[in-house]
Amino acid sequence: MSAISDPEILANSALTGRSRLSQLSVSKLVIWALVLFLCVTPFALIIAVSFGEKIEGASWEWGFSLANYQRVFVGANWPEEVTFLYLQNLYYSLYYAVLAAILAVLSAFPFTYLMTGLSRRAQSAWLVFILSSLSLSEVFIVMGWDVLLSNRSGLPMVVKETGLTDWLKAVGWFDTLREWGLANPRNVKFKTSVFATVLTMSYLVWPYAVILLYPPLSRMDRSMVEAAQTMGAGPWTVMRTVILPAVRLPLFGATLLLFVFLLGVYVTVSVFAEPAKQTMAVSVYSAVRGATLNAPFGAAQAVILLITAGVFLVLGQWMSRRAAT
Amino acid sequence: MILRTISNVFMALSAVMLALPILVVCGAALNSGRTMFFPPKEPTLARFKEFFFTETVWVTALGNSVIVAFCSAALAVLVAWPLAYGLWKQGGKAAQVLAGLGSMPFALPPIVFGVGLGFLWSFIGTLGTLWIGIVSHAALFMALPLVTISIGLQSIDRSHLDAAATMGATGPVVFRTVILPQTMPYTVSGFFFALVLSFNEFIVMFFVTASSYSTVTLQIFNSLRNGYTPTMAVAAITFIVISIAVFSAVARWGDLPRLMGAEPTKS
Repeated sequence: MSAISDPEILANSALTGRSRLSQLSVSKLVIWALVLFLCVTPFALIIAVSFGEKIEGASWEWGFSLANYQRVFVGANWPEEVTFLYLQNLYYSLYYAVLAAILAVLSAFPFTYLMTGLSRRAQSAWLVFILSSLSLSEVFIVMGWDVLLSNRSGLPMVVKETGLTDWLKAVGWFDTLREWGLANPRNVKFKTSVFATVLTMSYLVWPYAVILLYPPLSRMDRSMVEAAQTMGAGPWTVMRTVILPAVRLPLFGATLLLFVFLLGVYVTVSVFAEPAKQTMAVSVYSAVRGATLNAPFGAAQAVILLITAGVFLVLGQWMSRRAAT
Repeated sequence: MILRTISNVFMALSAVMLALPILVVCGAALNSGRTMFFPPKEPTLARFKEFFFTETVWVTALGNSVIVAFCSAALAVLVAWPLAYGLWKQGGKAAQVLAGLGSMPFALPPIVFGVGLGFLWSFIGTLGTLWIGIVSHAALFMALPLVTISIGLQSIDRSHLDAAATMGATGPVVFRTVILPQTMPYTVSGFFFALVLSFNEFIVMFFVTASSYSTVTLQIFNSLRNGYTPTMAVAAITFIVISIAVFSAVARWGDLPRLMGAEPTKS
C-alpha cells in the first residue's frame, strides 16, 4: 500500500535510492496494469464483440461486420424494409431519463437549500437518512412502489375507497385519465404507465440530486442572501437574483449526471414501463442474457448506450471546466 | 414566519415521500401469508426467522452478500489508495488519467460494465466464481474510496509534513506518523461507502455470477417475476438497517458534511 514513496525524500537518501526507484516504477506499472485490466478491458471487449456474428443455435463468433449496428439503426432487413424499433428504445431511454432527472433536481433543489441552512448536527442526521435511501437497492425501491401503485392494494385502492374515483367520474376528469392511460374502466391505474416509470426513476435519483447539490449550496455565501434581504428583497427576488445565478451551473451539471445514471436503469423500466415503451437497457439485457440470446447484437446496443452516456459526460465536464475559468 | 412554515412543511413532505415506499415494504414484512399486503394481515415475525435461519436459499444468499461486500470494499480501498496518493503527491496528467480510468466503471451505466465484465470473465474462464464477484465489485466501486481518500489527503496540513521533514523523518516514517493517521477516517468512510453500495448492487452481479450463486439482491431480482413474498421485505428491512447503522457510524466518527463536500468546520 505504501509502496509509492516521496520522490524528493528518495533523492535525499542516496543509499537506498536506486533500489527504491525501481520499486517505485514497478509498483506504478502494476497499478496501471490493474486499472487498465479491470476498468478498461470490459468496455474494449464490448466494442470488439459488437462487430461479431451470431451462430444460429449456438453462441457467437468474432467477426467484423456492421450488421449489428445496421440492425439497431434501420432494422435487420434493410434496405427492403426499415424499422426503427431499437432506435425507439433509445428514444425512450432518453425520454424517461430526461423527465426523471429534471423532476428530481427541481424538487431536490429547494430541499437541499433548506437543509444547508440547518445546524451541522441536523445536516448530519438528514445526510444519514438520505445516504441510506440512496444506497438502497433498486430492487427494494421497485418493490415498495410496486406495492404502492399496484391495482389491488396501495394508491388505487385508496383513491377508490375515499370516493375519489366516483368524484372524478362525476366531474368528467376520469375520461381524461383514461386517455392518458392512467385508468381502466373501473378505477385509476398506475401500472404500467409512463407516470409510474418516471416517478420511480426520479425517486431513485432524488437522494443523488441532494448529494450533488449539497456542496455548491452549502459553500454558497449566505451573507449575500442576508444582504439582499436587508435591502428589502422578497424571497422570490432573492431566489432569482442571488441564489439561482450562483448555482445555475451545478444545477445543470447535476441534471446531466442524473440523466446519464438513469440511462442504465433496468428493473424500474422492466416493471413499470408499458411493453411497447421499453428502453435500450432492457433490450441489451434481453439480447445478452434474456430470451433472444444474441451477444454481439446486445454488445452493439451497449456500445450505443455507452457512447450516448459518454457524450453527455464529456459535455458536462467541458461545461464545468468552462465555468471554472 | 409564513415562509418558515412553508419551508418546514416542504421538508417534512420530502421526508414522508422518501420514506413512503420503505415504510410500505417494512409493513409488508409482517404478513403471515405468502403474499404481500399493506397494511399487513395477521402480523407475525415468522418471516424474520425464515430469512435469517431456516430458509437455506436466503441464508446462503445473505452469506454471499456479506462476503462479497466486505472483500470487494477492502480490495477497492487497497487499489484506490495508491491512485489517490499518486494524484495528491505527484499530480500531473498521468495520475489524473489513471484516476479518471479508475472512476469510469462507476460513472458509466452499470449494465454496460456488467455485460463487459461478463465477456471478460467468460474468456478467462472464471465466470461464476465468488472471487470474481468480489473483483468485479471492487472495480465498480473503486471510485468511492478514491474520492474520500483524496478529500482526506487534501485536508492534511502541509506544515505538518514540512515539520516532519525538518526533523529528519524519512518518507515511510512521515507516511506512517502523519499521512496515514490523518486520512484514516476518510479511508474507513470510503470502505463503508463501497461496502453498502456493493451490498445493494445487483445488475453487474447478475452478469458476473452467471446464475451459479446468488446474493440477496440478486435472489430478489430473480424472483421479481414470481411476485413478492414477505420474506423479501425482511431482506429489505435488513439492508435499510445496515445502511442506517453504517452511515450513522460514519457521521458519528467522521465528518459526514465535509465528506459530502461542505466547507470544513471552523472550530
